[in-house]
Parts: sequence; structure tokens; C-alpha cells
Amino acid sequence: MSLVLSGVHKRFKDRDVLRGIDLEIPNGEIHALVGVSGSGKSTLLRIIAGLETHDSGTVTWEETPLDGVPPHLRRITMLSQSPLLFPHLTVGENVTLATPNRSRQEAEAWLARVRLPGRYDAEIHELSGGEQQRVSFSRALAASPRLILLDEPFTNLDPELKYELQRLIRDLVRELGLTALLVTHDREEAMLVADRVTLLEAGLVRASGTPQALSETESTFGDFIELGGSLYPSLHIEVTDSPTDETVVLIRSFTRFGHRLGEYRRGQGDYVILPRDESFRDGETYYLRKRQGGI
Amino acid sequence: MSRILTAGLILFPFIGLFLAFPAAFSWDEAFGNTVIYVIILGFINVWLGIGTAWWLMFTESRWKTSVEWFTFLPLFIPVMASMFGMYIALAQLGLVGTHIGVGLVLLVTTLPYSIRLAYNAMYVIGRTLLEQTLMLAPWTRFGLVLFPLLKETIRTIVLFSTVIVLSQFVLVQLIGAGLVPTVTTRLYQSYAGNDVSLALQNTWVLILVPVLLYLGLGGLFGIWIRLVKGRLQ
Repeated sequence: MSLVLSGVHKRFKDRDVLRGIDLEIPNGEIHALVGVSGSGKSTLLRIIAGLETHDSGTVTWEETPLDGVPPHLRRITMLSQSPLLFPHLTVGENVTLATPNRSRQEAEAWLARVRLPGRYDAEIHELSGGEQQRVSFSRALAASPRLILLDEPFTNLDPELKYELQRLIRDLVRELGLTALLVTHDREEAMLVADRVTLLEAGLVRASGTPQALSETESTFGDFIELGGSLYPSLHIEVTDSPTDETVVLIRSFTRFGHRLGEYRRGQGDYVILPRDESFRDGETYYLRKRQGGI
Repeated sequence: MSRILTAGLILFPFIGLFLAFPAAFSWDEAFGNTVIYVIILGFINVWLGIGTAWWLMFTESRWKTSVEWFTFLPLFIPVMASMFGMYIALAQLGLVGTHIGVGLVLLVTTLPYSIRLAYNAMYVIGRTLLEQTLMLAPWTRFGLVLFPLLKETIRTIVLFSTVIVLSQFVLVQLIGAGLVPTVTTRLYQSYAGNDVSLALQNTWVLILVPVLLYLGLGGLFGIWIRLVKGRLQ
């Protein structure tokens, strides 16, 4: 195991934010921590990064304790909700700063990988929010970290951009063989990006496993379907028939943020449409939930 | 019209001085003392001011509120009120009438303002952005990020502490026991002795020290920023 957390406990004034967290993340895994606000997931990330101290327990990387190691010696980088770029530096200088050799060529290559070629000399304020987040991501990668921490980095993006950046980050992290820990309150995001998911609740690990395994055991984690070997959580589907309550319907196409993903026909699996309202209407978008125990 | 009036009011105190610039400056021990105090206190104020503000920004210590309160106490209590207390303490230590004693009281007077200035600047930059710098090696953190981000604050701290140091007469006179001359004490003596020529010379020193410091720091900081940014190209 690369990252091992054992009995990590953190108390803020009169509140136990983390109450003995045990977690093991193997090398090269994208792991998601999912939980509602206040469940302790961001605090845990900050403890791993060395930005926060814990009251008890241990954090180790390949059996070497990280406790007391300053953040800059941990080879861990962090991507936050906001891009957090240094405003007095250009886009490229922000990335060069993080490269081990202070190399402009290296920084330009990283910018190209996040689809921002030729923007080295641009000022930060010239970039959109999504572009700034991509620069921030390239800076995090340019530091050649062994672990990258993602603290809800997609929260402030519009859906289209969010989806694009989720895929970009997932693909690059996998390609580089990095270990990544994603914090999110969005189960859909966790399932799309992560290999394994841990559910945090009130400072404790409630469950941990692959998205598929969790969907079987955790009723609140459901809301996804498998299509062509891939998971598509909380898919928005277009209903072209006029179904009635609890009726199995023929779903003609799946769309996610406007992108057509594939076709589903009766016989490929057993799903029902769960009504949100009293009645369905043609052409509207509904959520798809796997039916417990089959139809 | 209002802008002309404002400019006139700002320039009014200097009109007489511009009309009577001293033909020559004669060297006085007080000049050296003043410049040394200004440089040393400016450096210590930047060092301790930024260091303490950083600690206040990031500490989770339960003592934070108490330390913050004590640190800013001199901002609420006039120097004149705490002066006699300092005199008694320094007299016990045998520091009255010494450069160390005078330097110490000037530091006590200026440091709370420096901490407040640095803390406010860091607050505006934001804790999360400052935390990002913790992932960088110390030299990179300070040289390439913190110094450029805080350079105007550093300049303000130096100039603010300079102006306070140059304004203190009673404090320097009491703790220095008349044995530590500065430009300010000389100025009051020349007023008392009705020596216009000496008063004019010391007044110009009071103006020139911060102006030269302002220009010098601006030039130095500009060179520094160009050098460090050049390393990223």
C-alpha cells in the first residue's frame, strides 16, 4: 500500500471532526472520499498534505511516517475548488515554478497537455475559470508528485466544463500512473473518476469499495447503470414513450450533458424509471435507478 | 477646484522649506544614529511583523486570541501612557541612556503597527493561497512568491516604522537621557535655541531619509523581482 491512514483522529475545539479513520490506498489508484459537508473529508486531505496536524493516529507513505514532515518535502500536490494561482506570475511562470528544474519547455509541455498550448505568457486574469483550473492542475502535475489531492476541484465549474475536466484529470492521472485522492460530495463524480470510493460520515468510514460494490450494499449510493462495461451514474435519460408510474419503459438514448452515450433497449438489463412527480411527460428528463431484485 | 485646494493644503507645509534649502549640510552624530535606527528597526519590523502575522494566520493554538490581544495592546494605549513603565523597566536593566534602550522602546512602539499591516495584507491575499506556497521549497516560497506578493506591504512597514521613529522626541529624550542624539532631538534643541539654520538642516534630513528610503527600496525590489522572474523564463 502507498498511502496508509491508521486511526487518524482530529478534534476542533468542542467537535470531533475525524474519529479514527483507517484507509489504505494502493499505488496508482484514484480513490474518492465521498461525504456531505462537515463529514471531515477536506480535513483528512489537509492532514495528508501536511497543512493540518492530527491529534492521534498515523499517516504513512510506503511505510514511512509522514507525521512532522513539512508539506514541501512530502511530494504531494493539491488542487482546490479555486485555482489558487499566483497573480503576480504569468500562466507559464505559475507552472515553471513547480517544475523540479525550473524549465520553461517542461512547463509549456504541461500546458499543452491540459489543452492550453501557447498560453505561457498570458496573464492569469485573461483566462476563464475553467482554464485557470487547468493551469492549476498542470502546476500540480509539473511538481512530479507521488500523490495528488483533489479537493472538490470541479465544484465551481459549469456542467459541460466540469465533465471535460473530470475526464481530463482522470485520464492524465491514469496515464502518469499517479495515486490520487479525490474529495467530493458528488457521488456521480466519484463514480466517474475513481477506482475505489470511501464513504465518510460524521468523521468515520461508513463503507469502502469499488463503485459497483458500494452500489450493491449502500442504498444511498445507487443511482447508476452499467452500459458497455462503463458506469454512468445518475444518468439523465430522455423518455420518448409516455410511461405510467413504475412502468418499465423503452429508453431510446442516453445523454449526459448533451452528449449521446448509447442506446438501451429492453432485454439488456432490468431498470425502471422512478417517478419524481405524479406523472411522466414525454420529452422530459428523468433519473434512472436500478431496480432492487429485478423486475 | 477641490483638487487644487487639496494639493495646496498638502504642499503648504513644504513651501517655506523649498524656499530655504540649506546651502550645505554639516555632519552630525545624530544623522548617523537616526539612519542606523531607521535601517535596523525597519529590518526587525519586517522580520518580526511578517513572522508574527504568519503565526497568527496559521496557528491553531488556544493562546492565539490572548497573543493577538497582547500584540495589539500598544495600538490602543497611547505611547505616552506606557512610556513611564518602559522607563522604569529599562532603568532596572541599566539600559536608560543607551542605544539598545532607545532602539528597544522604538521597536516596542512600531512593532504592533507592522504586525497589523502584515496581517491585513495576508488576510487579503487569503489563507488558501498562502497555504499553496507551503508546498514549495522555502527559498522558492519566499523569493518567488511571498516576497513579490508582500513587497508593497514590506515597503509600507519600513516607511511606517521610519516615520514613527523620526517622529519620536519625548520617548527618545527620556529613555536616551539626553545621551543618544537623533535628528528629532536635535531639531527640538534647535527650536529651543532659536537656531534656524540647524532646524532647517534637521528638517530636511527628516524629509530626505524616508524619501530616499522609498526610492531606494522601490529600486531594489524592482531589481529583485526582475531577477527572480528571469529565472522562470
